[in-house]
Formats: sequence, C-alpha cells, structure tokens
Amino acid sequence: MSTKEEILSRYRRNMKVKGQYDMPDLDALNGIEYADAVSQFIAMSRTVGGEVVTLEPGADVNEVIRKAYPEAKVFASNVPGIAIAQRNPDTVESAQELNGTDVGIVQGDVGVAENGCIWVPQTMKERAVCFISEYLVILLSRNNIVSNMHQAYCRIRMTDYGYGCFISGPSKTADIAQALVMGAQAARGVTVILTD
Amino acid sequence: MSTLHSKAAQRFLETNKNARWHDDTFWVLRAKRDVMAHELDEWERLRDVACAIKRHTVTHLDRYLEQFVGNAERNGIHVHWAKDAEEFNQTVLSMLRKQGVKKMVKSKSMLTEECGMNPYLESHGIDVVETDLGERILQLMHKRPCHIVVPAVHITQEEVGHLFEEKLGSEKGNYDPTYLTYQARLSLRDEFMTAGAGMTGANFGVAETGDVVVCTNEGNADMSTSMPKLQIVAMGLEKIVPDYKSLAVFQRLLCRAATGQPTTSFTSHFRKARPGAEMHIILVDNGRTDIIGEPEHWETLKCIRCGSCMNTCPVYRRSGGYSYTYFIPGPIGINLGMLKDKVRYADNVSACTLCCSCDNVCPVKVNLSEQIYCWRQGLDSIGKADLVKKSMSLGMKYLFNHPQMYDTALKFAPITNHLPHVLMYNKLNGWGYGHEMPVFKKQPFHEIARNILKDEDKKGNI
Amino acid sequence: MKIGLFIPCYVDALYPEVGVAAYKLLKHLQLDVTYPMNQTCCGQPMANAGFEREAVSLAGRYEDMFQTFDYVVAPSASCTAFVRFNYPRLMKGKQRCEAAEKTMDICEFLHDVLRVTSLPGKFPHKVSLHNSCHGVRELGLSSPSECNMPKFNKIKDLLSLVEGITVVEPERVDECCGFGGMFSIEEPAVSTRMGTDKLERHIDTGAEFITGPDSSCLMHLEGVARRLKKDIKFIHVVQILAAGL
Repeated sequence: MSTKEEILSRYRRNMKVKGQYDMPDLDALNGIEYADAVSQFIAMSRTVGGEVVTLEPGADVNEVIRKAYPEAKVFASNVPGIAIAQRNPDTVESAQELNGTDVGIVQGDVGVAENGCIWVPQTMKERAVCFISEYLVILLSRNNIVSNMHQAYCRIRMTDYGYGCFISGPSKTADIAQALVMGAQAARGVTVILTD
Repeated sequence: MSTLHSKAAQRFLETNKNARWHDDTFWVLRAKRDVMAHELDEWERLRDVACAIKRHTVTHLDRYLEQFVGNAERNGIHVHWAKDAEEFNQTVLSMLRKQGVKKMVKSKSMLTEECGMNPYLESHGIDVVETDLGERILQLMHKRPCHIVVPAVHITQEEVGHLFEEKLGSEKGNYDPTYLTYQARLSLRDEFMTAGAGMTGANFGVAETGDVVVCTNEGNADMSTSMPKLQIVAMGLEKIVPDYKSLAVFQRLLCRAATGQPTTSFTSHFRKARPGAEMHIILVDNGRTDIIGEPEHWETLKCIRCGSCMNTCPVYRRSGGYSYTYFIPGPIGINLGMLKDKVRYADNVSACTLCCSCDNVCPVKVNLSEQIYCWRQGLDSIGKADLVKKSMSLGMKYLFNHPQMYDTALKFAPITNHLPHVLMYNKLNGWGYGHEMPVFKKQPFHEIARNILKDEDKKGNI
Repeated sequence: MKIGLFIPCYVDALYPEVGVAAYKLLKHLQLDVTYPMNQTCCGQPMANAGFEREAVSLAGRYEDMFQTFDYVVAPSASCTAFVRFNYPRLMKGKQRCEAAEKTMDICEFLHDVLRVTSLPGKFPHKVSLHNSCHGVRELGLSSPSECNMPKFNKIKDLLSLVEGITVVEPERVDECCGFGGMFSIEEPAVSTRMGTDKLERHIDTGAEFITGPDSSCLMHLEGVARRLKKDIKFIHVVQILAAGL
C-alpha cells in the first residue's frame, strides 16, 4: 500500500466524528462594503505603509515613477509603456540577474479597499521582480477596486504561469523588539499608481 | 508538587527582567486584534462560518485531499505523502540529493519544526537557512521559537545586536532595529541568490484549484521560491480549504487575529512551478489522522496557527514560550502536545486558569479551554495527576458528601486562623507563595441559616 | 416564586456575610426563599483540578436537593456556571438535571428574571468592578472584551440602582485575576503575578472597594493585597445590592 493509501485509509478508519457537518452557505456572507471604495483603498494603502499617487490624464507614467524615486537608477519591468526600464523580467537569463534593481514596475489586477491588498498575477517569466526590487511600483486601475476579499476572490484570475500574490504595502517585520521596520526581505517601499 | 511548567514559569517571573515587557507586548497584540475585530460588523459571523468550513473540511478530508492532489498534479506539481516526521525528513533529503542541492532557504514552517527537519538535514550535510527574520535570529542563536507567529519576541535588540556583530559583522554597539533588519536583509539576499532549493510551509491548500497559499509579512516565502530551481512545500493534511470563497474567509481572519493587521503584506498563491523549475508538495500526517479519531479533541484540526490564543492567554503572557515543554506553547500548544504524547507533555496542562479568553479570540472557534479541562480529567489515569490535588479532591469529595461532617469541619475551620505562620506559609502550600490565608468565620453561613430558620419558625421572618 | 438558595462551600465558611446579604435581598424582594441545610459544594474545585468524577455524587445530591424549586440562586458566578454547564454533561444518561438548568447567579437572576428597577440602599463609595471570567464568558453577565457585540454589563446596571455609588472598571476590563481554583496552588508564581497585576489595575482606578460576583476571585485578590499590604477593601456585589437591609 502506498503512503497515500495508508494515510487515507487510516483517516477513514479513525473518522468517527458524530454529526453531519455541511458546508455553510458562503454566498449569504456579506463582507464590509464602502460607499467610496477608492478612498478607503487609498487610506488603507497608507496604513499598511504604501504610497498612492494618481496618474493625471495625459501625464506620462514614466515621469510619475521618476518623480516618486528620483534617486533610482535601475528599473525593471515588462509592462508596455514603461520606457524607463532597462531590465525586463521576461528576457533575463535567470531571476538572480534582477538583483540590484532599484524599482520594479508591475501591473496589478484587483485592489481591495478593506486591507490595501492588490492582486498581482505573474505576467512575467521571472516573478522575482516583484520581490527582489528595492522598491515596487504597482499600476492599478481605479475601476478595479473592490471593497473586500470575498469580492476580490471572485474576481481574480491566474495566468498560465500559475502564480499570483496579494501584495499589501512593503515587506515588513517587527521581529526585533517588536519595532516595525519596512523592508525585511522584499520591497522596502511600495507606490501604487492609480490609473483610469 | 508542581509541574515543569509551573517551575519554569516561576523562574521566568523571578529572573527575567523582561517579564513585564513580555506581558505588555502580547497584550498590545491582543488589543490590536480587538480593534480589528470591532471594526468589522461581520466579525463574529466570519468566525462562525470559518468554524463551519473547517468542521466540514476536516470531517470530509479524504475527499478534499484527493481533489487537491488531483488538481495539483494536473498543474504539474509533484505530490508526496509522508506518514510521519521520519518519512517527511527522508523525502525532503532525497529530493535535495537528487538535485544535488547543498543549500536550502526556507520560510517559516511550524511543521518543519514539528518534524525536526532542520537538525536532520544539517546532520546530512545540507545547509538550511531560515529566512524569516525572527527564525533566522533564533537559528543563529541555536534557540527554538517561543511563539508561532513572533518566534523571537523574547530576544532583546541588544542580544540581536551582539549576535549580528559576531555572525554578520554588523557595527559594534548599533542596536537600532532598522539597522539590524537591514543587515539581515543584506546577508539573506546572498542566501536567496545562491540557494539550490526554497521551501515554504502552507497556510492553506485550496482543493478546487490545487493552490498552495502562504501568508508572510516579510515576503520571504516569495524570495525563497522565486530564484531556486526547486520549490518544496511542507504541508499538514489539515491545511485544506475547499475553494477560493472559503479562502477569502480565512484570509480575512488570519492576520487580523494574529497581529492585528488587516492582512499580511503578502498572500502568495502557488499553483505551478515557475518556468524551468520544479515544485513539490509533501503532505504530512504525523498524527493528524489519529486526532480525527479523538471525540473530545478533533476540533484542534481546525486551528489555522494564528497564535491569538497565546497572545490573549494570561498565563502564556506571564510565563513565556519556553516554560511549556511542547514546542508550540499557549492554549493550542497544551492541546497539541497532549495529542502528540499525553504522558510526555502532561506538564503543560496546569498552565490554564480556565478563563476562556482563548475560546473567544480563536478565529475558527476551537474549544480550547474545554479541551484543557478534559485533559485534566484524564491525568490521573495516566499517572500524571498532582498528588496534592488528588488527595485534596478525594478529601473534599468525602467531606462534601457527608453534610454533618462538613458542618463539623466548618465549626473547627477557624482554628487554622491561629496556626503558626510557618505552618501555613511553607513550600507545600502554593497559596502561601503570594497570598495571606483567608480568615474562616466563627459562624459559617450554615449556622447563621440554622438560627434564622429557628427564628423564622417563631416569627415568620428574620 | 420558590427560590432555593445555594451558598457555595467557601462562601459558607469564609464569607457567610455574602450568604446573609443574598438571603436578605431575596426576602426583601418578596420571594419564598429556602436554604436546604444539606448542601455543601458544587464540586468545581475537584473538577477543574482534574477530578470531575469526584463531583458526580455531588451533582446527584444537588438535583435531589433543589429540583422542586422554580429557581436555584447562588451568589457566585463561577459555581453557577459550573453547575449549569457541567452537571448536564456529567450526569448524561444517569439523571436529569432540572435543578442545574434553573440555577442562576444572583446578579443574572435579579437582572434577567426579576428585572429589578430599584434597590433600597445607599453605598456612597467608589467601587472598581471585577468582571470575573466565568461570569463574563460563560454566564454572559457582561459583553466579553474579545467579542464584537454591543457593550453591556448587567452587574453595572444593577449597581447603578444603588444610591450614591460610583462604579469604575480597571484597565484590561475582563482579564483573568489568576485564581483558577487549584491553579493558584499549582502555579503559584503565575497566579500571584496575575493577582498582583489585577490588584494594581483596580487600585489605579482610585476606588475604595473592589467588588465582584465571585468571592473566590475576591479571596485571591485579597490574599495578595494583604501580603503586599495594599490598602483596598473587598466586598461582594450582593452586599452592596443589599445595603441597608
């Protein structure tokens, strides 16, 4: 008998729990709704340590990124229209080559007002760009902001890469003396650029 | 007679100058959790639903496991099963050897702790690098976690400073948390770049999609798995949830309960190996299929390891994680330890006042205090009952079942008021450690009532 | 309404004045109160220590003693909770537990059943209310601080009917005081620290008295206070509610 069979049959043998436990009706569960989900999203993003800027009509997103990170030299992105990127996570030989990136720029799909999360599906060969960059810029359409995670999980889609992450602000830790520090292992800062 | 927990707790309180800080720090986490809970109108409903989903899932686990594995395998993931810690460790080792891996980075996993994986791999020449900052600090200090979410909370920033001076070459005397965190970041960055494999635990496995979901604040699970060619997931059987709709419920509860944040910074969904890499999931039983057979304790399988029961536990906060003999402390640890080996870990059962606060914070409503109460009932049968408590209980039973003797005892009880101090405040009397004795009244209520009744017979009132 | 008065063992021996206050208050409210003389203890001390089987015979005796009453009322939240919630489980298949099911702590009885709206006495003092664990989390005498529900506190409601009183609550409003029955003997260091912390938070309110529905918690806190020579007084809630009787 394989270990799998052994474990499953052991489970079946031991499963003596009395009573029938059915799956609850999750459609009846209403999460918090915000009258102005965009404002709530912006407020939450700041609470979790992120910055939010709005892309004004006609403005160049590259300029907005440069203004947000004036010191940055190395940009990485495969998002169309990001002309400042010298590195492309689709074409690098290995993920390690993305080390030393100052700013990574990625496209977010769905923003969540209750906690400032943004669903970032893998749309590039090397997803390391989302984490290895010192700072991360996430582009997000203001039309794709929902109130809560229930709505978000109904909306999100996986790409063929088979990876996606809800990112909420920068990497953080409080492991030393419970003092909150931004920038543990992944991005030290996150800027969300809200587009139309 | 006192338990190992009791003795260790006493040492903690009498010798650790951070004991009060420890209590306050965890109370802050509890308070932050309260703020989160009170901000959501649907909080209690979410807990009810989370409890119901988990009850359903762990009682239909075979079905969901098959579904999860089927989907994962269709997604190209290699799925392995391990019946115990030994098989798990061997599976990991053979996988690493097959790929010629010398170094593995890993994010935090209580399961690998449970299985003793790190020492096993290290003894076979594998360099295992913990990448959660707290876990890394403990690894460099050769210490074990004192909490499942904030594992190094008991280490002071000065201690971390000294450690990093020695191990990472950081500036002497610089104990600034931001500086020290940055030093760890630089050092770990090198490890991520050069590791041959990356391992994570799993907060959830989604049956409907085959996703493994990992929640971190540091992003270290993603750093650990975005560069190496081999990704390994260590996952306990009970981590399965049916679908994304269920996942939403737990995602909303987990971090709010754990640290009082609205979410972890990263909620990562792994469905396939990244291009050019391999992804493996090891499903570990290690006693879980026995827990489902425990009529009074199967609901521990609902636990999502948020640690909120520790944060609220007044005993945990005042005794520290190391005072427990099982590697998971606090209310859930008391229960999981007993399920692991009730003779070996019986000393933790005393660490509970039955205040029931843990029951109220648990996001999946595990009946923690009731289970601890049940474990106490079984201690005598395994020879682990406290003899003083046992003789007191037997004595009380006798007394309370014989009202006349009880009456007589009450009459004579005031004599103890006049016993010499040394007789009442000695090592055998735990009460005397920090209390003065209560004073027995000359006339107990029984006697007063008797007189009242006599009077009433005469006058019809008091 | 026929009321059986249940006076737990330690109240009987150590705090008879609490029993007297309960008796007087119930009589004042025109109730037919009886105190069965054969009562002793509910068995909680043994059960929480891991010897609940030693409490089975007591549960049987309790049923025999109290089953004919409309309500059994006790000035102790913790003993009430033990009787009401554990007896039915202990006696499952052995005996019915009618008496246990109609057992109430005197505060919930006054608040929920009698719905008293006035009390005769005065208590011109500042008191700090000790919300004991089993009262809060098992009997629901107040909204537990962990739960998202509308705030309420039945004991506070009752105390506010007493003329002249000022009721305050300590920080960490319903954190355990560390008594826990035999916990205080088996884990003396943690118990004492919890008691000390709780005591200090009560003292910090500036109250003259600490009051609560459980003499057991008060006994623990008083034991710690006397050891530390802290100058604060202790009084059971029912003694305040019965003030002037």
